[in-house]
Amino acid sequence: MELHVQARAPGPPGGGLRGEPAMRRITIDPVTRIEGHLRIDTEVDGGAVSKAWASCTMWRGIETILRGRDPREAWVFAQRFCGVCTTVHAMASVRAVEDALGLDVPLNAQLIRNLILIAHALHDHIVHFYHLSALDWVDVAAIPKADPTKAAAIAASLSDWPGNSPQEMKKVQGKVVALLQSGQLGIFANGYWGHPAMKLPPEVNLLALTHYFQALDFQRKANQVVAILGGKTPHIQNLAVGGVMNAINFDSLATLNLDRLYMIKGLFDEIVPFVQQVYLPDACAIAGFYPDWFGIGAGVRNYLAVPDLPVDGKATAFDLPGGRILGGEQASVKPITGARDEVFRQGVVEDLTHAWYKGRGAQHPWQGETDPYYTDFRDDGKYTWVKAPRFEGKPMQVGPLANVLVGYAEQHALTRKWTDDALARVSKIAGRPVGVDRLQSTMGRYLSRAVRSAMLAELALKHWERLVDNISKGDTTSYQAPSFPKGPVEGVGLHEAPRGTLSHWVVIKDGVLSNYQAVVPTTWNASPRDEGGLPGPYEASLIGTPIADPEKPLEILRTVHSFDPCMACACHTLDPAGRTIATVQVL
Amino acid sequence: MSLAVIGLGNVLLGDDGFGPFVVELLRRRYAFPPEVELLDLGTPGLGLISYLHGHDAVVIVDTIAGGGAPGELRVYEGAELERLPAAPRVSPHDPAVSEALAVARLAGTGPYDVCLVGAVPSSLELGAGLSRQVRAAADAAAEIVRRRVEERGFAAQRHDAGQVDDNWWLRAEPGNGRAPTCPTVAARALARRANVGSEAA
Repeated sequence: MELHVQARAPGPPGGGLRGEPAMRRITIDPVTRIEGHLRIDTEVDGGAVSKAWASCTMWRGIETILRGRDPREAWVFAQRFCGVCTTVHAMASVRAVEDALGLDVPLNAQLIRNLILIAHALHDHIVHFYHLSALDWVDVAAIPKADPTKAAAIAASLSDWPGNSPQEMKKVQGKVVALLQSGQLGIFANGYWGHPAMKLPPEVNLLALTHYFQALDFQRKANQVVAILGGKTPHIQNLAVGGVMNAINFDSLATLNLDRLYMIKGLFDEIVPFVQQVYLPDACAIAGFYPDWFGIGAGVRNYLAVPDLPVDGKATAFDLPGGRILGGEQASVKPITGARDEVFRQGVVEDLTHAWYKGRGAQHPWQGETDPYYTDFRDDGKYTWVKAPRFEGKPMQVGPLANVLVGYAEQHALTRKWTDDALARVSKIAGRPVGVDRLQSTMGRYLSRAVRSAMLAELALKHWERLVDNISKGDTTSYQAPSFPKGPVEGVGLHEAPRGTLSHWVVIKDGVLSNYQAVVPTTWNASPRDEGGLPGPYEASLIGTPIADPEKPLEILRTVHSFDPCMACACHTLDPAGRTIATVQVL
Repeated sequence: MSLAVIGLGNVLLGDDGFGPFVVELLRRRYAFPPEVELLDLGTPGLGLISYLHGHDAVVIVDTIAGGGAPGELRVYEGAELERLPAAPRVSPHDPAVSEALAVARLAGTGPYDVCLVGAVPSSLELGAGLSRQVRAAADAAAEIVRRRVEERGFAAQRHDAGQVDDNWWLRAEPGNGRAPTCPTVAARALARRANVGSEAA
C-alpha cells in the first residue's frame, strides 16, 4: 500500500475541531507539481460524513485562450481542453458556432458525427467501469481464494458471452497469484484491499478481473471506430463548422467508401455484444452484491440532460431525449428539445460566490467573465476554481443517471427497455426488488452508465444503417460552408457527453470570437455552494456516507468515482521522483 | 518490430506542450520507416494503454516534476517508471504513464522496451508556447529520441519539412492579446484571419 496517510493533531484549517475527538476531518488531495486537481474535504461525525466541500485546485479558465480567434478553428483548440474528452469538446464547439450562424448540417455529417460520439462514449464508459473504478468494488486480494470453475459457472448464469471459460478464469487467477507473490503490485497498489467495505464473493472478483483484461481489447476497438471516421485519435481531424471533411464516394479508395463502412460495422459487431453481454451484466452483478449502495449518495436530486444523436440536418429530432427533473420526481420532467430551446438557452447561469473569480452572484455564460481572484481555501468563502452552474436557479446533477432518469420519465422506449432489463437482473441477484427510484444513488450512477452503454450500442448499428441508406440514395454531401455576418451573434453547442451535459457558449463579433465559455459536466457535478449556500452534487452526495475506516476512506472514493470526475486532464506532468502524489489527511 | 514515439502533454499550457512539440519537431525534421509511429497523444490518462498496444518499443516524451533547472532533460528506462508507486486516484484521469505500462505488461501485450525522455518545465501557465529553456531542450530531446530509434534499427532520413515553431497551437490570432512566438508567425496569422462576410476557405 503506497497510500500516504498523514495523521495530524486536531486543529485548523478544519476549524472548531479541537477537543472533539468524535468528529474528524478527512482531506483527500492529490498533491502534484501543478497544484493538484480535485480535492475533497469532509467532516466525519459518528462514522458518517456530515459536511463536504469539493474543490478544484487548478484554474479552469482555459477557454479564454479562444477570444480573438477564428470561430472555424475554435474546435481544434477546444479539443485540447481535456485529454480524455477531446472529441466531445470538438463536437460542442462546432455545434456552438453552427448554432450562432443558424447553419444546418448535412444529414451525412450528423450521422458520421453520431457514430463518432457513440464509439467515443462506449470507449469511455468501458474504461471507466473496468479500468478506472471497478477496483473500488473488486478485491484483487481475494482472487487467489476463488474457484475458477465456479467463477465460470456464475459467468454463464449471467450471460452467454463466449469468453467466460474456466480456462480463461484460471489464466487470470494465475496472473494475480504471480503478481501477489512478486510483491510488485504496480497498478493494484492503489487499491484498498481487504477493506471491510469489500463484499463480493471471491469468484465474482475473479470474473470481474477477467473482464478487466478483456475490456482492454474492446475499448481499443471502439477507439478504432473514432480513428477511422475522425482520421486520427485522440484529436480527430475530420470536423468542420458546417459538417465533416469526410469525402463520401463508394467507388473511391481514398474516401469514406463501403470498405471502410463495413470495417466500422465489423468493429461494432464485436463491441455491441461485449457491452450488452458482459459490461451490463457485470454492472448488475456488482450492484446486486452491494444493494446498500442504492441507499447511499443520492445528493442533488435535480437532473439535467440535453437531447443528442440528431437524426435530421436541422437537429430538431434526436434518438436520445433531453429534459430536466426536479426533486427526483419523474412527474416533474420538462423536456428540452434542442439547442434552440429557450428554456435551456436562458436557464443556465454560473455563480461565482464560492469560486476563485472576481465577483459574486450569477452570470449567463454569454456574459461570463473568468477573472481569477485566488484566496486560500475558506470553508465559508471561496474554495475552488470551479464556478457553480445553476439551471433555473438550482444545482443540477448531470451524467448517465440524468440521461436515464429523463428518458425513463419521458417514456422513451429504448431507455425503458434497458433500464427495466438491468433492474430485473439486479433485483434477482440482490434477492429484493430494486426499482427505478433507487437509481438515485451512488450505485445508480454506475448502473445507469451501463444502461446508457447498452442503449448506445443498440443505436450504433441503427445509425450505421441510416448512414449507409442515405448514401445509397445518392446523397454524398457532408459539408455546408459557413458565412459570418457583421455584428455580434450568439450560439450554444450542446452535447450529452459521457460525463453528462456539455455546453459551449460563443459570442462571435464580425467573424471573430469575442467570448467563449465551456460549461462542462464536471463543473455541474463538482460545483461548489452558490450564493444561497446550496451545495453542488458531489458535496451533497457525500453527506451521510458511512466511513468504516477514516484512514482508508474508500466509501468517499466510491461516491466521487461514481460521477466519473474529469478535472485532472487539462495538464499532465509525470512525477518520476516517485513521490506519493496523493495524500489523505485525517485531522 | 514496431516502435512508437509518444508525446504527452497539453499544448495549451506552456511547457506542458513539450512532448507534442518534440513529436512535431521529429515529424518535420526526419522521415522514418513505416514501422515507426509518431504520436501526439495530448493528455490521455489511462487511454494511453490503447496506443501502447502492438508496439515492441516505445519512447515517451513528457514534462517531469521534481527538482532541476528548467529545460533539464532526464531519461528513464521502463523498469524505473513501473516501479513508481501508484497513488489513489481521486479523479480517474490523473496522469497514468506507469499505470498504463503496468496494465499493458500484465495483459501480456507489451511493449517491453520503454523509455521516457523528460524535461523540467519552467512555466505551465495557460498560453501557447514553450519557455526559452524548454524550447532549447526540445532540440536536444529530439536528437536523443532519434538516436534511440536508430539504435533499434530504424534509419531516420533528414527532410526538413517546414518550421516547427509554426505548429497550429503556437500561432497567435490578432486581438487575443497574446504575443506570437516569432514575428513571421504574426504575419501568417494575419493572413489567415477569417474574412468577414465571405465563405470559408
